[in-house]
Amino acid sequence: MKCKRCRRAEAAVDLPSHHAAFCPDCFFVFFRRQVTEGIRKLRLLSPGDRVLVCVSGGKDSLVLWDVLMDEGYETEGLYIDLGIDGYSGRSKEKVLAYAASRGKTPIVVELAKEGIPIPEAARCVRMQECSVCGTVKRYFFNRVAAEGKFTVVATGHNLDDETARLLGNLLHWQRDHLARQHPLLPGEEGGLVRKVKPLWRVSEVETAAYGFLKAIDYVTEECPMSFDATSLVYKEALSRIEDRMPGTRIVFYKGFLDPSNPLRNEPAGEEEGTGAPQACASCGAPTYAETCSYCRMRERVRNARSLRAARGPR
Amino acid sequence: MYNAPMITVRLPQKQKELEIPGPRRVMDLLAEAGVRPTTVIVTQGRKLLTKDHRVEDGATIDVISVVSGG
Repeated sequence: MKCKRCRRAEAAVDLPSHHAAFCPDCFFVFFRRQVTEGIRKLRLLSPGDRVLVCVSGGKDSLVLWDVLMDEGYETEGLYIDLGIDGYSGRSKEKVLAYAASRGKTPIVVELAKEGIPIPEAARCVRMQECSVCGTVKRYFFNRVAAEGKFTVVATGHNLDDETARLLGNLLHWQRDHLARQHPLLPGEEGGLVRKVKPLWRVSEVETAAYGFLKAIDYVTEECPMSFDATSLVYKEALSRIEDRMPGTRIVFYKGFLDPSNPLRNEPAGEEEGTGAPQACASCGAPTYAETCSYCRMRERVRNARSLRAARGPR
Repeated sequence: MYNAPMITVRLPQKQKELEIPGPRRVMDLLAEAGVRPTTVIVTQGRKLLTKDHRVEDGATIDVISVVSGG
């Protein structure tokens, strides 16, 4: 198969959803254009931004960092060590090696040192690991960004992630979640930093192909905590549809983002509140409640630990 | 006894390896391995293969899952 763009070189990536196939050089042009168009259309970033890129060691976040640097944005990487035996160490190695190859040193937050490693925290509060992880990561993304005077936080969520989330929110009619789901979450007074997802137009296959062709050494093993994540069920359903009807995913998501879509104009739920967030009574982070969800969770972890210590070894 | 060369299909994330007689197109190898094409990239050394690429006997290809959860 020949490249559909240059019509000379052998194709390396076939994309049925775009009725296209590209050689490596033309694929780089295509991919970067998809990302920059995604940024431009939704005004995610501007040239003067200081971007905190959240990197996990996986393909999406490292590819995002790579593209943003190549596009000339001022970026720093943030790696959160989740404290998962083996997996966290291997992920961190990939992040440090990639960062070093680009002359960078990422900011590292170690959850074990913060007293809230994910596996133990999830056991203590009896919640799904992914749910605990989401709360803790969101807290540190914002805290590091605010402390480091970054103007925006960027994450590597791609089209597959966003459509899986959309399908889940629709199936459960999570109207307040639907109202907030967008590649751009504006910042707010009180220290809530803007959050963006510049990869919203590209699929997982596309980011993996870009990472492979650019020789970005990412961690290919899955997080051991996510083996039964519900997002994987939605992803599988959507990829079956995509197999039969290429291009459905992007149509689904673009239709959702259309400003005339009434689902996008639902009022925010009670938990999110309206107006500006207040300072958390415990840590000072922006929150719509008296105490932020991170501090409430950390308190529950502390209490569970004390209870266990009082009971003594079994 | 003579062992005819075959295509080696490695699925590193599943720690699985298959031997399949060639020549075959990538999409046929994926079907044989029970893998859906929209969930993987397929590589041969430093080369990325399209789904209609014809793989010859004796070749080794890697099927890398791209699906991340959480």
